[in-house]
Amino acid sequence: MTDTKAVRATRRFTLNALRSQEGVLLGLLVLIVVVLSLFSERFLTVNNLLNQTRLFTETALLALPMTLIIISGGIDLSVGSMLAWSAVMLGFSWQLLGLPLPLAVLICLLTGLIGGLVNGVLIAYVRVPALIATLATLAIYRGLSFGISQARSVRGFPEEFTFWGQGQIGPFPTQFLILVTLIIAVHILLSQTGFGRWVYAIGNNEVAARFSGIPVERVKLALYGFSGLMAGLAAFIFTSRVTTTRADAATGLELDVIAAVVLGGASIFGGSGSVIGTVLGLLIITLLRNGLLLAGVKGDATFMTIGLVLIVAVLINNVLRKK
Amino acid sequence: MIASKRLLSSLSLFVATVIALSACAAPPPAAPPPAPAESKPAEGTAAEIPPNWKAGIPKNPPDRKGKKLVIRDVPKLIGIGYFAATTKGMEEAAKELGNIDFKTDAPTEAKIEKQIEFLDNFITQGVDVLLFAANDPVAIAPVLKKALDQGIIVVGYDADAQEDARQFFVNQATFEAIGQALIEDMVAQVGPEADVAIVTSSLTAPNQNRWIEEMKKYSAAKYPKLNFVTTLPSEEDQQLAFKATQDILKTYPNVKGVFGLSSVAFPGAADAVKQAGKCGEIAVVGLSTPNQMRPFVKEGCVKSVVLWNPVDLGYAAIYAARAIADGELKPGATELKAGRLGTLKINGSEILLGPPFIYTKENIDNFDF
Repeated sequence: MTDTKAVRATRRFTLNALRSQEGVLLGLLVLIVVVLSLFSERFLTVNNLLNQTRLFTETALLALPMTLIIISGGIDLSVGSMLAWSAVMLGFSWQLLGLPLPLAVLICLLTGLIGGLVNGVLIAYVRVPALIATLATLAIYRGLSFGISQARSVRGFPEEFTFWGQGQIGPFPTQFLILVTLIIAVHILLSQTGFGRWVYAIGNNEVAARFSGIPVERVKLALYGFSGLMAGLAAFIFTSRVTTTRADAATGLELDVIAAVVLGGASIFGGSGSVIGTVLGLLIITLLRNGLLLAGVKGDATFMTIGLVLIVAVLINNVLRKK
Repeated sequence: MIASKRLLSSLSLFVATVIALSACAAPPPAAPPPAPAESKPAEGTAAEIPPNWKAGIPKNPPDRKGKKLVIRDVPKLIGIGYFAATTKGMEEAAKELGNIDFKTDAPTEAKIEKQIEFLDNFITQGVDVLLFAANDPVAIAPVLKKALDQGIIVVGYDADAQEDARQFFVNQATFEAIGQALIEDMVAQVGPEADVAIVTSSLTAPNQNRWIEEMKKYSAAKYPKLNFVTTLPSEEDQQLAFKATQDILKTYPNVKGVFGLSSVAFPGAADAVKQAGKCGEIAVVGLSTPNQMRPFVKEGCVKSVVLWNPVDLGYAAIYAARAIADGELKPGATELKAGRLGTLKINGSEILLGPPFIYTKENIDNFDF
């Protein structure tokens, strides 16, 4: 008797888990991996999968703060531009100002942080809507990148600098380990701490959040600052990977980032979303693109497929939530 | 909800597009750096590599002689006429040679990070040959070196990478050949004794300055009475080129010909001559793309456009790949047999496409870039 009860409870639990956004995404991911591995025997190999982590680390680094920002009801369109600006500052301070490379990397991170804090001040204190504020800084930071670099690229970084973007620790690409650490940290921050609960509360109802004593402005400033800092980190890893800093780097990257976060189940109106969902969303987009290419599908068809998957995932999610 | 999302994405897409467009307003065909003028390597025997060979070599490549080749081409971007033309030439060569599985795929924007991703995926796929036109010579190098490490044949065309990151590069036009073609084209229209002027891009532009240098060198030797009266900048601005040409026509009434040395200087100069009502009286000669010059060529204000033929460029790249696979094209080789193009010269690791292509009223409609 008690046995069947337990079984029933487990079944209900599994069913609920499957119906959750993450469950749907996980199912989708498994389906994609199985189907694509039938088309190319090179897809489901350790080598290929580890290699993919190199290519998506920068997007993933930006997707972490973007998840928090979207949960809080905001958006940051300027991440691609902040990445380019930070990268340009890295190259500029190293080659033209002749600063040592570690200092240049610090400047790169600081540039991102400053860019993010400016967004935060505009949004939290000047009260410009996030969409408009970051749309403006998207153009401004990109403009700064072109202005500072004079549209020239900086090259010739020393061999040891490539460790962060091209090297590996054991079998793992360096940046993959950095990314995993940050994913765990941000996941804990969002799901286990008071700060995480504040982020959800602001996204659900900002006015209520303010009345319940949450320092809304400071939380927002922190979120956008964090986004900028991650853009700086992504810029550093990106520069190390491609060994050149260009003002047109990461153009349009914000769309990839937002797509992953939204596919991961974060509501664009705020209040819901999770780091696990975002990571699954990222994996789906990356593996789909990689798998389709390996299977010999042309690039343009790949983009269409990704768009289709995005819509299907949102639809499934809506249907399941209504039940 | 959907509306706001759409607004958001279309807004950012719009801004991104504007930025992307302003970032790459210059047309794709830019002359590559000149081939290093080193002593010609001696004919290599067997697998010996000449001591001054600086280009890359694939590690332990399998024996591909006469076998089916999987060739993937990753240009700067797809969806533009120029690279559609190189692909056309590649398909033509692949069909002619047979036994080649060929496909072009690349990002739809000229972005190096996306290009790297395409190349990386093709390496994983295990192709035999990668062809590329680099968006950035340095940034593309690591992924190309990885391909070489895995025994893949790597050949560049149109836009080179670092020399050690690829085996051979098909150079569409040397500065020397372009300079000579421009002078010959001008002399054919104005005769060997005439005053001519130059409208260049900016006075510090490296490519343009090399062309001018080669033009003057060649004309001094062959047409000493061709007199260069002035060289004016246009700073990549067609309006400025237009004005500069007007100034030339006013200041030097004896000028019989104007060179337009960039894709905006040439149409700007042609427009000025046309509006002065001097079509046919004053020759306009220069470098640009067929699409930009089509109206002037059709009207007869411009007789010919000097550039290379991207179809031939792609065609030669496939022949080079096949010859490397068959062991015919090795470090130190000085010639490549390239089908209908005949025998192409090789300088170091650069395969020279030969004299530039001249677009005229008769053939210009066969090209769309």
